[in-house]
Amino acid sequence: MNEQIASIQSAALELIAAASDERSLDDARVAVLGKKGTLSLAGALIKDIPNEEKAAFGQSLNSARTAITAALEEKQNALQAIADAAALSGIDLTLPARAHPTGSLHPLTLIRDEAIQILRRMGFALADGPEIEDEYHCFDALNTPADHPARNEKDTFYFNSGKLLRTHTSSVQIRTMESSTPPIRIIAPGSAYRRDEIDATHLSVFNQLEGLFVDTDVTLPDLKGTLEYFLREMFGTSTEVRFRPHFFPFTEPSFEIDVKLQIKGQAPRWIEVAGCGMVDPAVFESINATRKDNALDPGKVTGFAFGMGLDRLAMIRWGIKDIRLLIENDVRFLKQFA
Amino acid sequence: MNISLNWLSTHLDLSGKSISEISDLFTFAGVEVEGIVTKGIASEKIVVAQIMEAVQHPDADKLKVTQVDAGEGQLRQIVCGAKNYKVGDKVPCCLPGAQLPGGFSIGETKMRGVESKGMLAAAEEIGLPKGEDGLLILPADSPIGVPVKSLFDSDTLLELEVTPNRPDLLSRRGMARELATLLKTPLISEKLPETSASAASPDFIRLEAADACPFYSATRIDGVKVGESPAWLKDRLASIGLRPINNLVDITNFVLHETGQPLHAFDAAKVTLPLVIRHAKDGEPFTALDESVHTLTPDDLLISDASGAALALAGIMGGLDSGVTESTSSILLEAAYFAPSGIRRSSRRTALSSDSSYRYERGADPQAVLPAAALAISLIESNATATQTAGELPSPPSPVALDLGKLHHLLGDSISTEAAEEILTRLGLAKHPDSKWAIPSFRQDLTRHIDLAEEITRVHGLANVPSRLRATFVPTSDVDAAYDADMILRRRLAALGLYECQTIKLISETQLADILPLRPMQDGDVIRVKSPLSEDHAIMRPSIIPGLVASAERNARQQAKSIRLFEMGRVFRNAGGGKALDQESDSLAILITGHSNPSSWAAKDRPADLYDAKAIFSALLPNQTISLKPKDRENFALGAEIKAEDQTIGVFARLSLQRERDLDFTSPVFVAEMDLGKLRKLISSKSQVEDLPQFPGSSRDAAMELPLATANAEIEATLAKAKEPLLVSYECFDLFTDPTGVKIPADRKSIAYRFQYRATERTLKAEEVDLAHKGILELLRTTDGLVFR
Repeated sequence: MNEQIASIQSAALELIAAASDERSLDDARVAVLGKKGTLSLAGALIKDIPNEEKAAFGQSLNSARTAITAALEEKQNALQAIADAAALSGIDLTLPARAHPTGSLHPLTLIRDEAIQILRRMGFALADGPEIEDEYHCFDALNTPADHPARNEKDTFYFNSGKLLRTHTSSVQIRTMESSTPPIRIIAPGSAYRRDEIDATHLSVFNQLEGLFVDTDVTLPDLKGTLEYFLREMFGTSTEVRFRPHFFPFTEPSFEIDVKLQIKGQAPRWIEVAGCGMVDPAVFESINATRKDNALDPGKVTGFAFGMGLDRLAMIRWGIKDIRLLIENDVRFLKQFA
Repeated sequence: MNISLNWLSTHLDLSGKSISEISDLFTFAGVEVEGIVTKGIASEKIVVAQIMEAVQHPDADKLKVTQVDAGEGQLRQIVCGAKNYKVGDKVPCCLPGAQLPGGFSIGETKMRGVESKGMLAAAEEIGLPKGEDGLLILPADSPIGVPVKSLFDSDTLLELEVTPNRPDLLSRRGMARELATLLKTPLISEKLPETSASAASPDFIRLEAADACPFYSATRIDGVKVGESPAWLKDRLASIGLRPINNLVDITNFVLHETGQPLHAFDAAKVTLPLVIRHAKDGEPFTALDESVHTLTPDDLLISDASGAALALAGIMGGLDSGVTESTSSILLEAAYFAPSGIRRSSRRTALSSDSSYRYERGADPQAVLPAAALAISLIESNATATQTAGELPSPPSPVALDLGKLHHLLGDSISTEAAEEILTRLGLAKHPDSKWAIPSFRQDLTRHIDLAEEITRVHGLANVPSRLRATFVPTSDVDAAYDADMILRRRLAALGLYECQTIKLISETQLADILPLRPMQDGDVIRVKSPLSEDHAIMRPSIIPGLVASAERNARQQAKSIRLFEMGRVFRNAGGGKALDQESDSLAILITGHSNPSSWAAKDRPADLYDAKAIFSALLPNQTISLKPKDRENFALGAEIKAEDQTIGVFARLSLQRERDLDFTSPVFVAEMDLGKLRKLISSKSQVEDLPQFPGSSRDAAMELPLATANAEIEATLAKAKEPLLVSYECFDLFTDPTGVKIPADRKSIAYRFQYRATERTLKAEEVDLAHKGILELLRTTDGLVFR
């Protein structure tokens, strides 16, 4: 009997070895281990075996089953390995990707958001105002009365209604102070307009960011500390910042701010990035006259204001040589900000 | 304002200061240096050299090989192509390292195989006026080896921006006074001549408008010879870019730039005395010397004469007929003080401006009027009669109190009271016993405490003020919330493969064809700029679409294959045909055209269609059901309202096919404009979460055939009426048409839906699902022309 089992085992192992795929291996399994498989049929003979030989027969049956099962499993693994290898063969990792459309935010959005994030960390909230303004909010209330030499009407777009396109976002200072009481700590990003031919360095519509802090104890050290911190966050912690005396009708004293920067391919130099100053008491007086409650008593409150050109900041940040790139929306340009 | 350092140096010793030091000095005085132009020879490495030998270049007919003595102890070999010199001549030699105008740098080189260690130069090559052809031959006594620049005049021209509050800096003397103060050095100006003046008789000056002209003086000067100015005067004017005209005009110009006081000379022969200073009559005509013709108002001030003729628009410009000509032999020299605001108004109204009006409207120094006249009279060197005056000089500025408490608060206690007061004293202010400060006549801008504080701060310098970091907490504003929502939308759109654009908010009349405002426009709703710079920027955009169309067009011209753009921003219009003016709102615009995706080996190119656009809208607001409700829009095809659930949030359309052809687009252009105010609310609305289903659901499909023209919306409308509680969702998963009519009639389409059924509290039995589905099919069957397949 043992010889019979041995021959079943060797035939089974041959069959398994010959299996070339999942299906023929399965056929082999059924042919040997299935209900009517060769080993199963041989197993059924145990009842005819004398008792004293049963143990030995059972043993050799079991060892044959173990060997066959192991062979099946081994073959199964081998076939799976071949199939897995086939599934991965011929795949070219170096072919380019499928195309998925890419998009980007506009550089102005990026620079504006960066500035806003820094200033929000410093406790500024956003404010807003109309772009079609009246002369009062754009000029008069900002201490620039009708025959003031700083009132540049030639560069201003007017409408038949007498209104105008705001020439700066400083009008938002007035709008905010008219409707809220100190402490006022706001920033106002927005468009401003100048009757200027468009060229490599000028746009007739440009973008500014205005800031205003009015409270009972606002001083030049606050202005200086705030703007130094802002500019160092913007341009790097070791950036040199200088304040040049300047003139704006609505702040006194007034300054222009330069940072020392190195633009690609140039020697480091001072670059003007912002204007600022302490709110002129005359501005508070105009607002009090409108509010009629003296909430901005220049004897009690002080403030500082600042403004900067976002288009300019973007040009500095990314070395953009022609400002028109910011409004032409050439995808080859925009892609670089993806 | 242009300023020549040579001219400035007649008032102030600037020797030993580099240009960058001087430039910093201006900068920290609050005067911006906008440009620096050096005239003459700049480089020290251009030296006098004597030509000791010149032999023919072995390999070039037109070149000679010279040996020159540049004072270096040994001769220097330089190859030279000039012909105008002889051995022994002294010429400019540019040594290696010399910088020439135009950014040229001289080095050692080989010319046709012969070494050349520098360059012998012509006049124009080293920044001098062009001379004869060939090398600049220097005087024989020029010392060998010295820089050539020491043999020629040089000057530096600074282009300065003086702020409108500082008219006192608009002259050489004024600027020198300021710099001397900052440098703490004395002025070295020549004293101005003594002035003597007497009150004018009414036969000479009649001042009828003392409000606009507080003080007027005139001096008759006879025996004048009009001719060319002396060289020094021409040089001075040329040094700041002014063209010399004749001695009289040049002297008045010189005095204006020297002292800041404008003067005007009338040809006495053309004036019937007295000079009358009066307001213009309403509608009075005036022809200025630039031949422009103006109609005046009573607010304008005229210098007129007894005949009534207008001689000059006071302080702004002379008349065409009253000026000095070559035949002038007697003049009336005007020096006056005009009220700044009147000059400003007249100048604005007439659009006339001049160096004079520029100074008068900012405020000239009243105390400079007569000294300036005296300087001019002394320079004219003719028979001047006594200066006669009318009116009174404005009283000196009122003294101003300095509030020390406020000052120290402002400056963060960074300056001592003594140092602050010393600054004011240096600036020419004087402390009164009552501790107010007397203001010099040239600083009319100092009227309040804060003006004095500014002067102290400016001179003290912000570098010397401490920094303080301090915040006051303020609440988040509505604008903050809107900004955050906009940034979320922007980032979603960028992630969806759209590029954010920024277009000019002023558009042209032709671009109005592309506007797609949320509400259609009527006559009177367009906002036009009064005097636009160009027709391209004449109208406030009522819609962002025109800007995006122009951007798409530009990109298409640059061969962009897949164009997906968006922009967010302000739009402007009137409403109700001009009843409500200047409405501003924020809008989001989207444009897609070209391929749906960038080209790839893995997929076929396909033009973007309206469902691509719809996909963007849906992905932008994933928690909203987005639908398009057809609504025709003029100038566009496929117009529709964009709906989020039942709310209209925007407008969608395709450009008209004619417009697409006109703009050379080769695939459909889909555009949308959405109300940003609504979008912000839809993305920021937080809803409570729904519990996840506890039991599995079942789905059933239905394939329907119906007329091609029947909109999918009809099926959805029918399904909306379903009251089946087990139906939780449905989706369209297939659409089939066959234009050839083989598989399905060409005028019919097959559309397949999948319905999802589920109960919240139990697993449904198949029979329950079948029953519910049967009800839905019965409902669908009511749709016109619908049959199930």
